[in-house]
Amino acid sequence: MAVLNRMDWYDLARSTNWTPSYVSEDELFPPKLSGDFGLPQNAWEKYDEPYKQTYPEYVKVQREKDAGAYSVKAALERSRIFENADPGWKSVMKAHYGAIARGEYAAASAEARMMRFSKAPGMRNMSTLGCLDEIRHGQMQLYFPHEHVAKDRQMDWAFKAYDTNEWAMIAARHFFDDIMMTRDAISVSIMLTFSFETGFTNMQFLGLAADAAEAGDHTFANLISSIQTDESRHAQIGGPALKVLIENGHKAEAQKRVDIAVWGAWKLFSVLTGPIMDYYTPLAHRKQSFKEFMEEWIVAQFERALTDMGLDLPWYWDIFLNDLSQTHHGMHLGAYYWRPTLWWNPAAGITPDERAWLEQKYPGWNDTWGQCWDVFIDNVVDGNMEKAYPETLPAVCNMCQLPILGTPGKGWNVKDYPLEYNGRLYHFGSEVDRWVFQQEPERYAGHLSIVDRFLAGMIQPMDLNGALHYMNLAPGEIGDDAHNYAWAEVYRAMRAAKKAS
Amino acid sequence: MSIANANQAYHNNMVGPVMRAGDLAQAVIEAARLDNPGKEVFVDDKRAYIRIHTEQEMILRQETIEEQLGRPFKMNDLEVDLSSFAGQIESQDKAVRFYFTKKL
Repeated sequence: MAVLNRMDWYDLARSTNWTPSYVSEDELFPPKLSGDFGLPQNAWEKYDEPYKQTYPEYVKVQREKDAGAYSVKAALERSRIFENADPGWKSVMKAHYGAIARGEYAAASAEARMMRFSKAPGMRNMSTLGCLDEIRHGQMQLYFPHEHVAKDRQMDWAFKAYDTNEWAMIAARHFFDDIMMTRDAISVSIMLTFSFETGFTNMQFLGLAADAAEAGDHTFANLISSIQTDESRHAQIGGPALKVLIENGHKAEAQKRVDIAVWGAWKLFSVLTGPIMDYYTPLAHRKQSFKEFMEEWIVAQFERALTDMGLDLPWYWDIFLNDLSQTHHGMHLGAYYWRPTLWWNPAAGITPDERAWLEQKYPGWNDTWGQCWDVFIDNVVDGNMEKAYPETLPAVCNMCQLPILGTPGKGWNVKDYPLEYNGRLYHFGSEVDRWVFQQEPERYAGHLSIVDRFLAGMIQPMDLNGALHYMNLAPGEIGDDAHNYAWAEVYRAMRAAKKAS
Repeated sequence: MSIANANQAYHNNMVGPVMRAGDLAQAVIEAARLDNPGKEVFVDDKRAYIRIHTEQEMILRQETIEEQLGRPFKMNDLEVDLSSFAGQIESQDKAVRFYFTKKL
């Protein structure tokens, strides 16, 4: 029997729109959920997905992907990679799984919204597959860490993190809820699939895979790069929606959604991926710096593609490019200093060799961030550990939910960007964070940052122990230095040598 | 330093797949050369992934990849190791095309 080529029947097979006769179009596709931008079904029928896939093809390809990922895991299970890994690398895995695994189920729900409510039949088809993808990602990223839970309590946070009020999770949920859980189908396609998945997931699932391969963790490298092959397909859901919006005079609304999602993703990655790549990954295994990965994936690849679709660079482009060399150093310093509030053990990453690498990748590091670390190192070397732990809270941004920071040293530029709205004073870490809030203040106004909650008396007792309890951090889970301050020995020896000379 | 570099990074016309390392990636590198005559193929091997790029447009044909692999291959099997790609994509029955509409 002759089999038709896919393209001979594809368009017909996914032409699944019809004219409803029992209900109105608005009842079938409620605008709040479908996000039709006032466009009727036939405008959305012009949506043409560039990366096409049919269900039988999907099943065949996914089976092959799973066979690959699970067999690598099985083959390497007895190689004791986890047991022998540098503690810094273990922290990479813990941070990754906790921040990502359960979010995949949220993404499945967002895909399901596009599957049901989009007026574009092509989008409904592709997000059916995308929804199955995200379920796969959730299952794998819970199954893979599970074998380590018995060895290390912090690995339990692969599952637990999303149910907690840990501060980084509040930030992650705030962002993901904004772009995928509380938006209409078309906005999800632009903010989640186009902005987040075409761009930023490459950083975490391919950039990090390059580091993982260097670190010899082939199970993890293989797992996350396999996940990204799904992303690379379903991330294409948003592109054709952008084209429909631009063609119908809605470019400004599309652009705004992209700009909001890209900024939020950038801030989240500055606290999650930046420290992982530039501080936790053992020096010998760093393939590139975080900034170099950002330039490769976000600047050269994603933003270039964005302008090819007919959009503009975000209005904050220059701020973003400048912050690429700065923000994540501050996020690392803050996350490390408040390390009891993490579910992983951050590596300080500031031995003389590591500092030389940082100075080379980020000229000026020693005169800025390095100055703060000098004080910290002295305290640890002197045994003043009470000064090496936090007693107060940082100021936190009411948009990204992350500490408000600036670059230390001569150019000290920390600044609050305040805004009064409905009688309440909000604080933001940047002009862009404040701008995002202003686009739809009622959307964000009711949210309390971790500091707001503290001041409202929701965290009791009002000290570190109260905070740890509120953040659901149990003994054995509370973070501390990945290497138990072994790096301080190098500085002790340097001091002794200096004295002797 | 940073702004100049990052701006340069943006000004590029490179398109093409980013493949997970393996025999399919090697076949795609060869196919990129054979199916895009006259174009220089840039290969950047990052161990976990390999960038395979040309300027402005790249076509990969099922038949060429099949020959290079030495086993049956359907165009959509590319997805097994296609982790990402630069440029826009166009799926065809027996080929895939990566491209930019604008040239910087």
